[in-house]
Amino acid sequence: MHTKATLFNNTYRKLSHGRIYAILLILLGLPVHIVAYLMYKIGKNQNSYDETYQRIKQEIVSKRTHLKWKQEFLEQEKKKASFFKESVIDSELEKKVNSLVENRLNKAVEEEVRLLGIEKATYRTYFTELLNSQKFLVISAIPGILMYALLLLYSNPFIRFIFERVIQTLFVILGVATLVFTILYISPLDPARNLLGIEATPEQVANFNRIYGLDQPYLVQLWNALTGLFTFDLGTSFAGKENIIASIANKFPVTLQITILSLIMAIVIAIPVGIISAIRPNSFLDYSFMIIALIGLSIPSFWQGLIFILTFSLELKWFPATYNPGNWLSLVLPIVVLGTSLTASIARMTRSSMLEVINEDYIITAKAKGLNERKVISKHAIRNAMIPIITVIGLLFGGMLGGSSVTEKVFNISGIGSYIVDKQFIPDIPAILGGVVYIAITISIVNLIIDILYAFFDPRIRSKMKES
Amino acid sequence: MKVISNIKLLLKITHEHANAHFTLTFSAVLSLLFLIYSYDFNAQSWRPFVLSFLAIYLATTLYVWLISLLIKKDLSKTREIQRLTRFLGYPLILTIFVGNIFASSFAFSLISKNKTPEYTFAYYAFLTQISIILISAFNIFKPYVIDTFLLAMGAFILLAIIYAVLIILSAKCVTSSFAPRWMLPIGVILLFTILTGNIFAFLLGISLIKKARNKDSSAVEKWQKMWSKILRNSMAVFGMFFVIFMFSLSVVSPWTFDYEFATANNYSAILQTPTLEYPLGTDDFGRDLFSRIVFGAQISLIVGFFSTLIPAVVGGTLGAISGYYGKKTDNIIMRLLDILYAIPGILLAIAIIAAFGANTVNLIIALSVGSIPTYARTMRATVMQISNYDFVESARALGASDGSIIFKHIVPNSLAPMIVKATLTIGGAVISTSSLSFLGLGVEPHIPEWGNILKVGSAYLETHSYVAIFPGVCIMLLVLAFNFFGDGLRDALDPKTN
Repeated sequence: MHTKATLFNNTYRKLSHGRIYAILLILLGLPVHIVAYLMYKIGKNQNSYDETYQRIKQEIVSKRTHLKWKQEFLEQEKKKASFFKESVIDSELEKKVNSLVENRLNKAVEEEVRLLGIEKATYRTYFTELLNSQKFLVISAIPGILMYALLLLYSNPFIRFIFERVIQTLFVILGVATLVFTILYISPLDPARNLLGIEATPEQVANFNRIYGLDQPYLVQLWNALTGLFTFDLGTSFAGKENIIASIANKFPVTLQITILSLIMAIVIAIPVGIISAIRPNSFLDYSFMIIALIGLSIPSFWQGLIFILTFSLELKWFPATYNPGNWLSLVLPIVVLGTSLTASIARMTRSSMLEVINEDYIITAKAKGLNERKVISKHAIRNAMIPIITVIGLLFGGMLGGSSVTEKVFNISGIGSYIVDKQFIPDIPAILGGVVYIAITISIVNLIIDILYAFFDPRIRSKMKES
Repeated sequence: MKVISNIKLLLKITHEHANAHFTLTFSAVLSLLFLIYSYDFNAQSWRPFVLSFLAIYLATTLYVWLISLLIKKDLSKTREIQRLTRFLGYPLILTIFVGNIFASSFAFSLISKNKTPEYTFAYYAFLTQISIILISAFNIFKPYVIDTFLLAMGAFILLAIIYAVLIILSAKCVTSSFAPRWMLPIGVILLFTILTGNIFAFLLGISLIKKARNKDSSAVEKWQKMWSKILRNSMAVFGMFFVIFMFSLSVVSPWTFDYEFATANNYSAILQTPTLEYPLGTDDFGRDLFSRIVFGAQISLIVGFFSTLIPAVVGGTLGAISGYYGKKTDNIIMRLLDILYAIPGILLAIAIIAAFGANTVNLIIALSVGSIPTYARTMRATVMQISNYDFVESARALGASDGSIIFKHIVPNSLAPMIVKATLTIGGAVISTSSLSFLGLGVEPHIPEWGNILKVGSAYLETHSYVAIFPGVCIMLLVLAFNFFGDGLRDALDPKTN
């Protein structure tokens, strides 16, 4: 129990330095703080700080050191003024010098007092002291549970990191939802007109807007959209009256399946290619690989899809041209098309990352120790080179989920991407909102997981965290 | 033993030798492509026209191979390339007339020993002009040409002759640090060539002015060093050539191409296969694909340029502020940009277009917004680094305001990564433009844009595949050119390699 007490004490001391955290701590443990503050006010006179402070100040002043300082400051200011060729007014100079002397005096006194081991009595030090006592902890455990929970979270650097990262992700998700909703809200297009036709009477339009809540003020609509997003109830789409969440849930798995498979394809091809290129830089193989990679980056995916359909479906008849859930062969072309640019990026990244690592000192050391090249590459170089690549893969995964809409359209796959594209002509606000925001959430969560995994696996990040 | 290793090194550092191999590879690859295309598999017959091209390209390949052997022999015998070998470059210049830019640029680099950036600019300006003349000349086969056609073609030929003279002049008179005084007016006149979009000639003008004025020798040296580094990278130069060629073509196309052919329906010539009158065939409304693709380059370049410039300026400013002030400002700006960063660019673009409708301006805005965070991050990282340098500290000590420190001292010194980033992302913007047009979310359907042409082509994939193939090849080449150029710029501007 004693270790627990010092743990709370330490964390509180550290955390209450930041203003935001201090406010948060007081808010979370409000009942405890009210009682403690009263206790502090009552027992304030017991502290000897002010007394000592005055005594030491008197001592210094009586020694006349402060007059010496004044002389020094005065000279300094005059020199400064003559250097910058400014005119000096005596009264202002006097004021400035006095304030400088006062500052220096205060600092000197504070230093002396600190050396005597007497702390200034503030509520913060008082409360920190309280946290040391077991009795206080037991009594305040229930009313201050939220505050203690926060202190506990922040007592461990790993948990603190994860907690802050999760909060950040939640903020981003909320921001994304608000942003996308706002964009759709300020749209000059009128879904009611587009859907009901030009002949619709004003009553019909008003009725439509009332049913879907489009006549309500911005904040109400925003609140409805946000609650809808997080409770998985976005109502029905404007056109076709289908349940939006059900359609998205239906379409998401296909997109995810294709994306993940092409990610796997990209990793399996790109990383060996990048490593081979980096081991033999500027060789014929390296040049060919990198030119092919650059071509892969430069091909528009929809055109590549069309060319693949033309060659492999229409001419050679190896794969079906359109997607069919029951036939895994029909997945091959979309996966390759979606994965091409990703493969190219990862291969280029792997190469540059490996090249950087290979020239590091520790690789030379490993070679000097007599390890054979194979071992140096596999044990030392690759493991270190992979670290930045994993982040890039996480980021590219997001781009792929977004870019899948084009590939899905070419191969006629009814995934989430083509769903959003189909819905944008009206525009079907809740459907687009749902599609975009859920994709963004998926990406944020994937990146969150990657970041957290890093914190566990990369010793450099671990030690940095412990230091802070 | 030492001699051999020296020769290997010599071969490696001799620009002509590397260039010869490069040209050899590309000419061989192009010959192979012609070989495949020369046989019509469906009709079971040879295409005589393509076969003649194949023959020329094969001959070029052989010729270049011979030259490369000669260079090797010269280097191993006398340690330098002989005059006779250099003389062999002259006939190779003619390959530009069959479109072999690799061989003709190799020819120029072989002919002259004195390879200043000016010489390189001059011959690329010449090659660009000749290519434009050749492309524009296809209009002769049309039933009629636009009124300004003859005038424009005459001007182009005159410009090409001027560039040819400049090639000789810059080979003879310009050194790496000096140009004669009388070249100053020539340089000034050359600045006006920007009106034809020939940026090589424009660069040549700037370069000549710099050297002829001979005022600030350190600036001249810096300029010289940067360009010779970029121009040494063959792929980067070809990328730059293709980008400038496309740019110049889209600038001058209104004077040599008739917009009517690209947009007016002609029901008597629907879905024709390539002929001389319609070099790339026609689409389902009888519109000439060749003209459509040429005019499409305009749209792609405009959208690509603006949707790179806008986020670079906005993101760059935000990143600079964020990186300079740090702490809370940094935290607030970067957290807000994280929100934008979490939405994939193309999805955000779709959402914005869904809200505001599909047209070119909205497309530019939609593509711009999504790429603000990446530019902000790049700028922020550089600015954070540079803010710690001594010259910033001294500017602050001299009493400069924060604004002038950021925009006068820090930003100009952190532009290099931004320029590299921008060049590498223009390609992405070009792809996004055509992708969104393909989905019906980009440029209005009646405007000839590569994505729009492809959309039509996808409907006739089975029967008239060329409608979909040619615009795609153009997109790919343009993006590839930007990427190669960006890679070269990165290598040249990267402080690590300095």
